[in-house]
Amino acid sequence: MTVSLDLVRELAPYQDQPAQLPAAANGKVGMLRLGFERRGDRTILRDLYRQSPLLVQRALYWDEEMPGLPCVMILTTSGGVLQGDRLSMDVDLGPEAQAHLVTQSATKIQEMDANYGTQQQNITLADDAYLEFLPEPVIPFRRSRFVSHTRVRLPTSATLLYAEVLQPGRKYYRDGELFAYDLFSSQLRAERPDGRGLFVEKFVISPGQFPVDRIAMMDRFHVFGNVMLLTDTDRAARVYERTATPVWDEQTPLASAVSRLPNDAGLVFKVLGQETEPVRAAVRAFCTAAREEVVGCTFPPAFSWR
Amino acid sequence: MPSMAEALRLLQFGDSVFPVGAFSFSNGLEMAVQHGTVHDRSSLQEYVRTITRLAATGDGVGVLVGHRGAALGDLDQIRRADEAVHLRKINEEMRTMSVRMGRKLAEAANRVIGESLLKKRASESDNLVPVTYPVALGVLFAELGVDEQGAFAAHQYGAASMVLSAAIRLLRVDHLDAQSILFAVNERVDDDYQDIRGATLDDMQGFAPHLDILAAAHQHAHVRMFMS
Repeated sequence: MTVSLDLVRELAPYQDQPAQLPAAANGKVGMLRLGFERRGDRTILRDLYRQSPLLVQRALYWDEEMPGLPCVMILTTSGGVLQGDRLSMDVDLGPEAQAHLVTQSATKIQEMDANYGTQQQNITLADDAYLEFLPEPVIPFRRSRFVSHTRVRLPTSATLLYAEVLQPGRKYYRDGELFAYDLFSSQLRAERPDGRGLFVEKFVISPGQFPVDRIAMMDRFHVFGNVMLLTDTDRAARVYERTATPVWDEQTPLASAVSRLPNDAGLVFKVLGQETEPVRAAVRAFCTAAREEVVGCTFPPAFSWR
Repeated sequence: MPSMAEALRLLQFGDSVFPVGAFSFSNGLEMAVQHGTVHDRSSLQEYVRTITRLAATGDGVGVLVGHRGAALGDLDQIRRADEAVHLRKINEEMRTMSVRMGRKLAEAANRVIGESLLKKRASESDNLVPVTYPVALGVLFAELGVDEQGAFAAHQYGAASMVLSAAIRLLRVDHLDAQSILFAVNERVDDDYQDIRGATLDDMQGFAPHLDILAAAHQHAHVRMFMS
């Protein structure tokens, strides 16, 4: 079902070729295929295919609260997304399978002077499957162009917890880099296994065309956290009960709120802050409530080095 | 040049007091004022301009696709546009606003102009896809013989005037301040139209996390004048 992203409208101005390896050349088409299957008390990584610059080694079982949960760390061998990169990832969870996906470090979308990077993700969950996809923050560097499409397919009984944190750039690099990228475009479409749409969220940020450091967009904030919890209505209602109180903290500063998604798809939690840490903490608190209500286990304490 | 009758149709159905219930929504402004984010004329103008930009790149595409679907008599295309708009209403209050105003516009059109594609669309049996306001507006203007630029302009005007009429009740700005802001913001309509006229439903987009948070927080406010 993989359709090329090269034709999306917002990439039209960036169709020139890099002076280095041409776009989508050997070594620039990263692929990952991860298939998880339930085996007794634990879930195993039954299927693994990888092609650099994306890399996965093996599943580890580091989560003391959920010892049967395979934790998979996604690595990149090239230090981020480079111009001309075309990345794709397919994640499949069988019935009752559970998995936890993270990235090794922040996703750095490197400076670009030609072309762009793209990423396609397909996530397919079977009945009663449970996936946490909690990557490290994304940092779009000066003049970077990036388009990401994610498609999620899941039945009512399955759960996806998907969190993204978007930074404004290398905020503390040299004089600071805030919203200096050319294009950051991200789309998430969720649907039922029969193809019926649940919701679509798409944003195309091109600060050079329309500034984002303004009221109603980023206001005075720099870091944006976006969490989707796709789950059935009962579990969503319990998580909502615990997390619905909006936060408006002028001191930190931090603002966050939860809303119910269309078509009983679940919840969306959005948080804005000026620094990454408070935003990550808020994302983590929401994810903890979600995991506790959905699987009945909490999160172990965060690794002190992360 | 549109005929005078066409011009009057645009004025009538694009009027901010046309009874679709726009007066009961503030499009996030009530919460923005409560938090002091919008507090004077210049912050209000910035807010209104962001709202019209979002209206253009998101719902505005729905207006055009609805208009073009109606011009072709293609009920499936109209339904697909409604579905696309509805799926993208991530925020509950915004979703309610779009569906409620869409239904009201369809009801009003039935009474005022009688038989139309909008009536057909609204009365579809086992209707799983709600009628949404922007698509309904596009369909209605196509039926009335108003071109798509006119329909788009009316939609943009509606987005700005909704916020501004709420602003008069929420802020220390007077009617003339509001009209000056409206006049300035309206000057952007040609650029916005040029940016989206070639867009498809898949291209509909909007980036407004701050507004999303204000809107989601608004549901929990104890005292509210507006429904959004």
